[in-house]
Amino acid sequence: MMIPSRLPPVPATGARAWLRDNLFSSTANSIASVVTLVLVAWLGINLFSWMFFDATWQQIWNNLKLFAVYRYPVELLWRPLAIIGMVMFLLGVSSGITPSGETNITRGVFWSFSGLVFLLTVLALLSWESVRLGWVMVSLACLAGYTLGREKPIVAKALPWLWGASLPLGFVLLYGVPGDAGNILRVVETREWGGFMLTLIISVVGITVSFPLGIALALGRRSKLPAIKYFCIGFIEIIRGAPLISWLFIASLLVPLLFNVSPDRIGPLLRALVAVTLFSSAYMAENVRGGLQAVPRGQREAAQALGLSGWQTLKMIVLPQALKAVIPAIVGQSIGLFKDTSLVFIVGLFDFFNIANTVVANQPESLLVTGGIRLELSLFVAVIYFFFAYRMSIASRQLEKTLGVGER
Amino acid sequence: MTTRPISSNKPIASKDTIPFYRNVKLIGVIAQVIFVIIVLAAGTVIYLNVTRALRASNLPANFDFLDVRAGIPIAESPIRYNTNDPYWRALVIGFLNTLKVSLVGVVLATLLGILVGVLRLSPNWLLRQLASAFVEVVRNTPLAVQIVFWFTAILTPLPPRISNPIQLPGNVLLSNVGLAIPWLENTYLFVNWLPWLGGGVLAGILAYGLRKRQIEKADHHGNPWWLGVVVFLAVAIGGYLSITPEIPENAATNFRADRGRGQVFLDANQDGELDEGEQALAYIPTRVSIESGQLSTTSQNTTESRRNVTSIVRFPLIRANEVSDAEVVFADPEAASDAGLQLHFVDFPSESILYQDRDGDGAFDNGEQFDENGEGFAGYELFLRVYDFRRRLVADRDGQVRIPRFEPISDGEVEESAPASPSGGLFGPPAGNQADDTDSSIEATFELVPLRPWVLSTPSVPVTNYVGGITLSTSFLALLLALVIHTAGFIAEIVRAGIQAVPKGQREAAKTLGLNPWQTFSIVTFPQALRIILPPMISQYLNLSKNSSLAPLAAYVELFAISVIIANQTGATIPVILIIIASYLLISFTFALILNIVNDRIALVER
Repeated sequence: MMIPSRLPPVPATGARAWLRDNLFSSTANSIASVVTLVLVAWLGINLFSWMFFDATWQQIWNNLKLFAVYRYPVELLWRPLAIIGMVMFLLGVSSGITPSGETNITRGVFWSFSGLVFLLTVLALLSWESVRLGWVMVSLACLAGYTLGREKPIVAKALPWLWGASLPLGFVLLYGVPGDAGNILRVVETREWGGFMLTLIISVVGITVSFPLGIALALGRRSKLPAIKYFCIGFIEIIRGAPLISWLFIASLLVPLLFNVSPDRIGPLLRALVAVTLFSSAYMAENVRGGLQAVPRGQREAAQALGLSGWQTLKMIVLPQALKAVIPAIVGQSIGLFKDTSLVFIVGLFDFFNIANTVVANQPESLLVTGGIRLELSLFVAVIYFFFAYRMSIASRQLEKTLGVGER
Repeated sequence: MTTRPISSNKPIASKDTIPFYRNVKLIGVIAQVIFVIIVLAAGTVIYLNVTRALRASNLPANFDFLDVRAGIPIAESPIRYNTNDPYWRALVIGFLNTLKVSLVGVVLATLLGILVGVLRLSPNWLLRQLASAFVEVVRNTPLAVQIVFWFTAILTPLPPRISNPIQLPGNVLLSNVGLAIPWLENTYLFVNWLPWLGGGVLAGILAYGLRKRQIEKADHHGNPWWLGVVVFLAVAIGGYLSITPEIPENAATNFRADRGRGQVFLDANQDGELDEGEQALAYIPTRVSIESGQLSTTSQNTTESRRNVTSIVRFPLIRANEVSDAEVVFADPEAASDAGLQLHFVDFPSESILYQDRDGDGAFDNGEQFDENGEGFAGYELFLRVYDFRRRLVADRDGQVRIPRFEPISDGEVEESAPASPSGGLFGPPAGNQADDTDSSIEATFELVPLRPWVLSTPSVPVTNYVGGITLSTSFLALLLALVIHTAGFIAEIVRAGIQAVPKGQREAAKTLGLNPWQTFSIVTFPQALRIILPPMISQYLNLSKNSSLAPLAAYVELFAISVIIANQTGATIPVILIIIASYLLISFTFALILNIVNDRIALVER
């Protein structure tokens, strides 16, 4: 029997095949594609024309210093810049020493942030006279760090120490050294701090301090001693039961009462940090507990069989495995905390988000009308938060893949 | 590491006691005792500090303040409230408002979240990308920013409610004070319908039970709920239709068109007036028709958005289908034509711009709304004349009926006030104590419409504010939108992960059995995905409820906002803090309880 000749098969690759498979596979699909395309195009055109023709970006441009550091003295801006330089340098070293074949999570983060740094350097060279030199130095620090990491991978040994030292060093640089007022390291009170700098400070301090606290609480919750166990359960559940904004409010009222000092001795920053850290540590404890539960019982028993003490088992067997399993969760929590720092307006701090509200309230008469620059401001604020949070969440997803947590 | 030689094989005799510092049990007890002592000591120090500070600052440290008059104006409240009510009532309203936004938010967030989650798995590339973009944007920007975005950037700049709210289909009005939507109100006949509803529920349950048994006997796949719901609906609708529409006996009104308002009441002595002891009737549908009348207003200079629109003329909103004809005229046409002023309608007839046609093209151009000095044309009186105005409206819960205040049409003479000529209308203006302040009267027909157990109340704008229907304030809307969209981003991810977690083999097996795609989804994929989805979904509901505490950013008054106000007003910080914590713990534990029940049920379903 003769097999009748058939048409050649429809190509399975190429632009046409892709379009057919992904957009026009059926009638319903085609309609959905067209409708969505029209909708997206309409939105895009409107947004584009609004951004470039109708929107007033002048106010945001004029207030950029406020958005970045609030009232930090202009002549001392090199200090926060030095911290950025230091962190970027260390990040550069960290990403430089990673062998290019292995994992490029740190490198991805490093290059995204470097991109931002280079962009800001260009802007500084064009129009910000006071920080021109500073940004150039930061850019150089990025490159120097990366090169150092590449050329001399031996510095990897010092890295944990350097990262550890960067936190107190950063604080000293920001706050200054008490003493001579004319000094370049003169004290800048925390009430002068604000803007995006403050957002980062609260996030970093919150996560760093809550990490050991969270581990302690998680261990306490799994402890066999009832007094400690129930204390930890109570603490964790009560803290997690109420929202962060209420803890911030409570801290702003309660902290001066608790420590029996006058309210101005404990500034709003400290109160916010107490609330953020305690709140974060309760959530951290739950994350760590998840990791502890994921460590098989055999591991512990094997350690006991080897004659390790309880402390040794914890330090060398249980915690490393538990923490490795929860790194993605901790990164997720860091993103959450970074976003939640926007709530510190309730204690009267001027973080990035609150600055935007202040700028809205203080916009000039000519703009102080319905509409005003609120749309521009909220979009600007949203885009900045989004950049950092999204970058971290990409890193978290890559981490999850490399650690194989998602597969299990 | 040091190696310890195993010294002896003989078992440890009970006399050979372990030194106490190596006894694990003893160490545990000691550690706990030390821990408790530390906690107690810290607690005592804190307690002493707090009490000393409270005494020093003379702040209230007990709950007595709860009975004091609050004096806090609360814009929206599910129960009756005025500023004379005590603090505890304000707190209860805060709690109810939290529940309100949380419950509505949970329902909407679930729907939106499931939609987006399913779209993320759509075979259509464009929809998939759009859904992922939505999820990423929503999850990676702070909720606070989203609330402020919706409140200050989107909802507050909406047009004013007075004259040109956005008219959405279905008599929905949207303006800068909120969204007014039609609402079904229960009339007094609702009581007659209740037995039918109750019977319907019983019949529905019965039908459900029978159907369920039948399905089990026949051993085939089916959902017994459908029959139950259909039976219930049939009984309920039948009952509704069987109740004859009626106009309440002795119902009367003191409606006066020249005041634009009146009240519907039970006129016991039939004298046409609301006397002492006579009862107002709530939710009575009425129809007002006015042959001709006019509203007056004066032009105002306002600045709106960046376009600098000045010289605005506003009349209360009148819909096109409510009048046969409408015109807007100058009270003093000569003066207006001398000044070369004309009207440009933004929204006929309610909102217009007064302008001077300087380039003579007969059309409004930007810049013509103010004169050469940049000043507008304020203070010109204008009339909106309507002919054959008719409006159906429903009395509110106090029996109040309001429409715009019409005057009889005057002949362009501003100063002339028409002499009081008491005239028709079904319930014309009563002669009496109010007669002296009537400078005009107007032909109006006011009739009551037969009512049923339910009446649909549609919103209108008689003077400056919404009347009828229900109004969702911009604060509530902004908070709700932000919470729903934010939570939906998280729910979408949960739904996507849940559906993806169902093994591919399940779908393939269903296909092999000959199930169609919908059956595959509804009886194979979905029930299995639900088991994975539900627990994290419930914790998202809890997050939504807790996140509603960001309400102060949208000026919505809920539990947290009201607590902050009370703490600031009374200085009773410690009691307020305890109230905040207790309320949120109550909410959290309720959700935890639901979660546990759900987890148990899911576990039961499993095997």
